[in-house]
Amino acid sequence: MACINAKKTCWNCPAAKFKGNVDFTACGQSRNIEAENAQIMIECRRRPGLGHFEPTITFEDCPEWEEGDYGYMLKNMKVMILGIDGYLGWALALKLGKLGCKVSGVDNYWRRDCVAEKGSHTVVPIERMTDRLHAAREVHGIDINFRRIDVMDRDKLREFMDEVKPEAIVHYAECPSAPYSMVDAKHAIKVQENNVLGTLGVLFIMKDIAPEASLIKLGTMGEYGAPLTGRPLFEGIFPSDAALEWKGRKWSLGGELTPRDPVSFYHCSKVQDTFNVYEACKYWWLRSYDIMQGVIYGVHTDEIATDPRLKTRFDMDEWFGTVVNRFVAQAVLGMPLTIYGRGEQIRAFIALDDAMQCMVRLIFSPPEPGQYDVVNQVSGLFKVSDIAEAVARVGKEKFGLEIKIQRIENPRVESEKHPLEVVSKKLPNEFGFEQGVTLEKEVERMFEVLLQPEVKKRLEEKKHTIMPKTRWSGMKKESGTLEVYEPGSKEKEGFEGVLRRGA
Amino acid sequence: MRTVVIGIDGVPYGMMETLSDKGIMPNFKDLRSQGTFAQMKSTLPEVSSASWATIITGENPGEHGIYGFTELMPGTYNMFFPNYMHLQAKPYWERGGRHVVINVPMTYPAREMNGVHIAGFVAPDLEKAVYPASALPALQEMGYKVDVDTEKAKESKLLFMSELNKTNEARIKAYRHFWEKEKWDMFTFVFTGSDRLGHYLWDAYEDDGHEFHQGFLDYFARVDEVIGEITGKMGEDDRLVIISDHGMEKAKTNVNINALLEEAGLLKLGEGRGYGRIAEGTRAFAMEPSRIYVHREGRYPRGSVAKADEEKVVDEIGALFKGQEFVKRVFRRDEIYRGKNIGNAPDIVLLCESGWNLRAQIGGEKMYPSPLAGHHTYEDAFILTNAKVPEGPSVEDVTKAIGDY
Repeated sequence: MACINAKKTCWNCPAAKFKGNVDFTACGQSRNIEAENAQIMIECRRRPGLGHFEPTITFEDCPEWEEGDYGYMLKNMKVMILGIDGYLGWALALKLGKLGCKVSGVDNYWRRDCVAEKGSHTVVPIERMTDRLHAAREVHGIDINFRRIDVMDRDKLREFMDEVKPEAIVHYAECPSAPYSMVDAKHAIKVQENNVLGTLGVLFIMKDIAPEASLIKLGTMGEYGAPLTGRPLFEGIFPSDAALEWKGRKWSLGGELTPRDPVSFYHCSKVQDTFNVYEACKYWWLRSYDIMQGVIYGVHTDEIATDPRLKTRFDMDEWFGTVVNRFVAQAVLGMPLTIYGRGEQIRAFIALDDAMQCMVRLIFSPPEPGQYDVVNQVSGLFKVSDIAEAVARVGKEKFGLEIKIQRIENPRVESEKHPLEVVSKKLPNEFGFEQGVTLEKEVERMFEVLLQPEVKKRLEEKKHTIMPKTRWSGMKKESGTLEVYEPGSKEKEGFEGVLRRGA
Repeated sequence: MRTVVIGIDGVPYGMMETLSDKGIMPNFKDLRSQGTFAQMKSTLPEVSSASWATIITGENPGEHGIYGFTELMPGTYNMFFPNYMHLQAKPYWERGGRHVVINVPMTYPAREMNGVHIAGFVAPDLEKAVYPASALPALQEMGYKVDVDTEKAKESKLLFMSELNKTNEARIKAYRHFWEKEKWDMFTFVFTGSDRLGHYLWDAYEDDGHEFHQGFLDYFARVDEVIGEITGKMGEDDRLVIISDHGMEKAKTNVNINALLEEAGLLKLGEGRGYGRIAEGTRAFAMEPSRIYVHREGRYPRGSVAKADEEKVVDEIGALFKGQEFVKRVFRRDEIYRGKNIGNAPDIVLLCESGWNLRAQIGGEKMYPSPLAGHHTYEDAFILTNAKVPEGPSVEDVTKAIGDY
């Protein structure tokens, strides 16, 4: 699997600059990338001595691409991470830096500020960016080119991008919280402005400054919703043999975007991003992978585990904590694990370390010019109630914790019982992703971190931020408890998630 | 004495004769009576890159190293597009004197020289097509474009004509600007819209009822006006050379040489893209438009023809094409090439019969109607000059007419 991208060519490589099309039978040249009967002409930024040529050199034949743990990897690839200070951004920066990438990044500390605004903090303490950068250099020998820039400040972002000339851009600079977007109009607008307009600005800047760079854009599985029909959640685009039948007539759906059914104003912003990125690829021949990421959880990557100064943040408040992370936090605090409604909601999940592996693989297998593609970045499907059971089991078996589970009134508007079939074939089959960590293993690691006295103390300080107060209905009311029960006391019922990963 | 070289790309001798006789190019007609107007042979194959490289260096392709618009990177099947960087001989403007050189094909990217150089086709970036860089703002101001976007011709002939004329007018402005602003000993100015017209609208030339017949003639009338304007500014002792690099005629049927090689078992195609599809067991393949190469062991990754068998394969290729209705003549390497770079030359070059257009794409049909109206010809480029030229001139003789500085 290591050389899964060996046959990709210059057409995928960000160093290849499109120079036009030449129709030598008619002595014609054109800037139209779709010219008929013409030869595509490129030049290589890294190997200008090659002059103009057809983009046919494979990664395995190009000296700029070297074989490594993730297939062929572009030497010293320049990767810019927007939102580098975040939970994912920082972990990815270290991983890429260790792999020899020239990492740059921007952040305006939006996440730190929003969490503070809500009266919480990251329970795993993280350093100031300056200290993080020093530690990265000291521990891993990584130099990260960081600028404090808000993605909404297009002039500054353009200037920095022009200076760096990135070959891949990872876009994490978005608000990742559904509850935060549902607090009130101010929060909904703030989320949508940052996410939608920020991304739109990034696209315009890329068009002018870095059209050959791939945009690895973080979306969410929540864009699709959870259709009650059980219709499979394809990877963003219908497969070629999908069809719509209606009243005896039939149409192909192959190649069309699949339906989106967002479940919060935050998710709506992600769906709008999807359309904006899709259109930019169509209009300007930008290239992008839109990552429909499952619910993220975990604390571990090899790089952040090396030194306490390199830890990534860990939120457990109702706005920025994700469900597995929040359950482990509750278990450590001795609180019952809180399930919304029936707890039969099935969601797709992925551990931090696996998500980072996926990102690296996507970065090193760039799409072609004009290609907009979607991957479902998922390693497992679980019911929320099953997650609670798993956390309780690990807590008890490995750490001797007595943990209860409670159901509360669902603050969200969502189906509480539904089938879910997710297709996630591209990452394992086209990019070589192999799941590295199970839910139980990562939960165990999380307990180890959160049970450390300093972390537990920080958890205690902010335990009041755990229970949900934000309701989708807008009502200002805490959710009442429906039931408290012992783990393992419930019979399995309802639907089971189906994850399609085969070729 | 100063020298002026005017190129009219892709125009056959016969057409210049006809248009000047018909009064569409009266200035050219006058010049014919004052100097030598002769039919001139192009290079083999008759493509602009090889032909202009020969014209500006006076050398055979075996010496200057440009055999076509495409080559394979050594030891690979990756195709590259040779340009000025790959020219292995000096153009006449690097042999002395001060020059203005505008729109000579195959001279991109522009490089340092004594004077001003604006490269011609293929030239994707105007910035890199111009030397010195200080000449660029004036060109941008006049809306100068290296070439018309020929994809427009596929979409709309109306738009194509409009763009062609706009490009031509900007080029005329450029010649006027540098003629006046620069000091020069030799001025070289090439019209290339003429070639594009031939490819896309040769039928409009031949058919006086064609929608764009008058537009076709008007283009050449405009070229003639400029020739008149230029010659009107020249002194009596000044030298004038007007040339084309190859001829043009109606294209009827395309023949894909690679498809014929494949049918004969000389070429085996596998999976992949372009020349990367050349598979084990291949003994010969062709590159555009009519260059055939022996698939030598050691030279190509899957090359299989041992040195001892090369002649046998060349004979086999020759026998395959000799006598075919679309082949006028089969040339072996040594018959047409000489010089230090002959090792990279094709082993065989085919010259087609009138109306047939040779192609060498990988895959596809053997024969099909030409999607283009006109295609290049070998024997009927032209030269008109008040200098001496050898009898039966070829493009290799142009520098003799131009002389040295």
